[in-house]
Amino acid sequence: MDQLLLRLWRSFCLMLGNQPTLRLYFLPLLQRCWPGYMPHLYRATLLDKQWQTDDMLQLTLQVSGRWPGFVPGQHIVLSINHNGRYLSRTFSICSSLKLWHSQRHIQLCCKVNAQGGVTPLLQQLQTGTMLSISKAQGDFYWQQPANAAVFIAAGSGITPIAAMLLSQRHWLAPVTLYYRCRGEENAALLSALQQLATKQPLFSLQLSDSRIEPAAHLQAECCANANAKQFYLCGPAAFMQHMRAALISSGVSAAHIKQEQFGLALLMPVITPGQQAGSTEPLTARFIRAGTATEITLNNQQSLLQNAEQHGLSPRFGCRMGVCFQCVCDKVSGQVRDIRSGVLSGHGSEQIQLCVSQPVTELVIKL
Amino acid sequence: MKLTTEQYQALEHELDSLKQQVQAQLGEHDARYIRRVLLLQRLSALSGRVLMVLGFITPWLWLLGVLLLALAKILDNMEIGHNVLHGQYDWMNDPVLHSKRYEWDIACDAGSWQRTHNFEHHTYTNIIGKDRDFGYGLLRLSNDFRWRLRNLWQGGTYLLLSMLFQWGVSYHELAGQRVFAGKKKTDRLTQVSDSALKKAFFSKGARQLLKDYGFFPLIAGPMWLWVLTGNLLANLIRNVWTSTVIFCGHFTQDVHVFTAAQCEGESRGQWYYRQMLGSSNFTGPTWLHILTGHLSCQIEHHLFPDIPARHYPAMAKQVQAVAVKYGIPYNSGSFVRQYGTVFWRILRYSLPGGEKALKTL
Repeated sequence: MDQLLLRLWRSFCLMLGNQPTLRLYFLPLLQRCWPGYMPHLYRATLLDKQWQTDDMLQLTLQVSGRWPGFVPGQHIVLSINHNGRYLSRTFSICSSLKLWHSQRHIQLCCKVNAQGGVTPLLQQLQTGTMLSISKAQGDFYWQQPANAAVFIAAGSGITPIAAMLLSQRHWLAPVTLYYRCRGEENAALLSALQQLATKQPLFSLQLSDSRIEPAAHLQAECCANANAKQFYLCGPAAFMQHMRAALISSGVSAAHIKQEQFGLALLMPVITPGQQAGSTEPLTARFIRAGTATEITLNNQQSLLQNAEQHGLSPRFGCRMGVCFQCVCDKVSGQVRDIRSGVLSGHGSEQIQLCVSQPVTELVIKL
Repeated sequence: MKLTTEQYQALEHELDSLKQQVQAQLGEHDARYIRRVLLLQRLSALSGRVLMVLGFITPWLWLLGVLLLALAKILDNMEIGHNVLHGQYDWMNDPVLHSKRYEWDIACDAGSWQRTHNFEHHTYTNIIGKDRDFGYGLLRLSNDFRWRLRNLWQGGTYLLLSMLFQWGVSYHELAGQRVFAGKKKTDRLTQVSDSALKKAFFSKGARQLLKDYGFFPLIAGPMWLWVLTGNLLANLIRNVWTSTVIFCGHFTQDVHVFTAAQCEGESRGQWYYRQMLGSSNFTGPTWLHILTGHLSCQIEHHLFPDIPARHYPAMAKQVQAVAVKYGIPYNSGSFVRQYGTVFWRILRYSLPGGEKALKTL
């Protein structure tokens, strides 16, 4: 019934304004009244920006009271308007719940990639600039604070973990944070965590200097006495993959490991249905653009976007991580896997994002 | 007159670099401009619909309302819809002004338009048998087409098409695919099934009819007849205006047509050359350019369909200089003159004989 009403309402909006919602029809007027207004996003004002390290910029935002809040560990999509373009990227919240409840502020710790399209623009933002943020998303949060836990962060992976630790009010069990970075001067959010360690006897902070200490050493340390503990990992994909493998081989159950990844995962080998493991029979895809079809042989260890680019097709793309929807196109037939979630698509016609889709079967795609 | 291979290459290079030059400047100014036009469009649509109801105070308010609604529809179709659907503003990542998301206030479904116009017409401009926009399969516009009896009254057909233009546009793809009548053509590329075409045609058409002749008259209560008539009139003004502008773009005195064989395997330079010969501009003040969606600069639009249209008048000077340099005819004139030649062409070729517009490449 609700479905039917929603469909009727959508048709009604399409009839009146040729837009799926009336809010989109009135958008130019709404934006005139509230500069920076975007549907489905919340307004945020930039209060302060501060360099935590050489390449980690911390932004403090005053967030609209309508924003529904967050669970420490979650991330948001930050959208800025630069030179007429809306640009967005995902960042984890690194500040505590207390800061949000008491002052409606949140802080983001953003790794600035000098070659990137968006993060270098963040340092140019003036305080007082109006930005937009999405609802908080993600299921990386501290689930059972009553159990002993080990947090392992590497580099900018500290951001969601810092939010979890700094938000904790009742400490019930011992918690250790292993924080791997290139020395103290490159450790973002370090002073707040050190303060917490001196105040809270159940919390211990272990810095691991990646310039001196080999990763294997840290892995061995984490794996000792690993039983009955919860593990929370966040950092570069390769770091987490190795850490996870080490933990599992030392007897930690996969259910006790939670992890959050920035950027794209390393692709897991795929066995396509109807194809034996190790079989090398190549998959093909047909890309149709403006009526002309190009047949290419796929490497199923890469995204469709990379596949298409290697064969000289140049599909529209943007963030290359599934955020900006620039590379959305119509899949006519065939099955793909979402690289981020591992979820398999249907076999029929639907829209997919090329940058986060891995081929599973033969495909026909319209660019 | 024919260009050499080297000249085609040089032409390609010059026009490509002009395009890159403008593309590099795109930014805040363009975003602010198109958002202002969109705001103006929304405000004139809303005030137009309200003023029509206020016609009981004085009919002048009703008339003003009709003109404002017509203005809103023209802005939506020309400067906003046509240009956004070409992807001119996709770089903005805007939730509304994006070629994949925009839907316009006209009977034609945006997806169908993108297939027939952006793809067929812009790729195969004025190629006999491939670009159905040359005469729309209804009008005989040069002696490259065989004369038939029905061409005798094509002056009347043209006036009718002009008044019902939005329906002609919306039916265009279905006619090409012979969805309802006629023998299927084997050489046509079928991207969408007939049933999907029919569904889009009927649902978009029904929504537009329901809006202008059902919903708004109904909520106007006792003023329903005024509103209904006003909407009819606004649609009529928009139809006549859009068809006039579009006819001036390709059917003026000196435009050329081509055969498919000539264009087989053409280079980008040759494609540019063909676009320049197949289109025509007309001159006028800025407001006229805006009301035509800058299709007054049809030549520049055909050379650079994905560049935001407000840049065309400035680019036109450079394109014209390039045309002079290579001795390519550059077809431009006043609005009245260009339209006069269009009307003459329609009348002249309603009778047998006449000149061929075929250009040898």
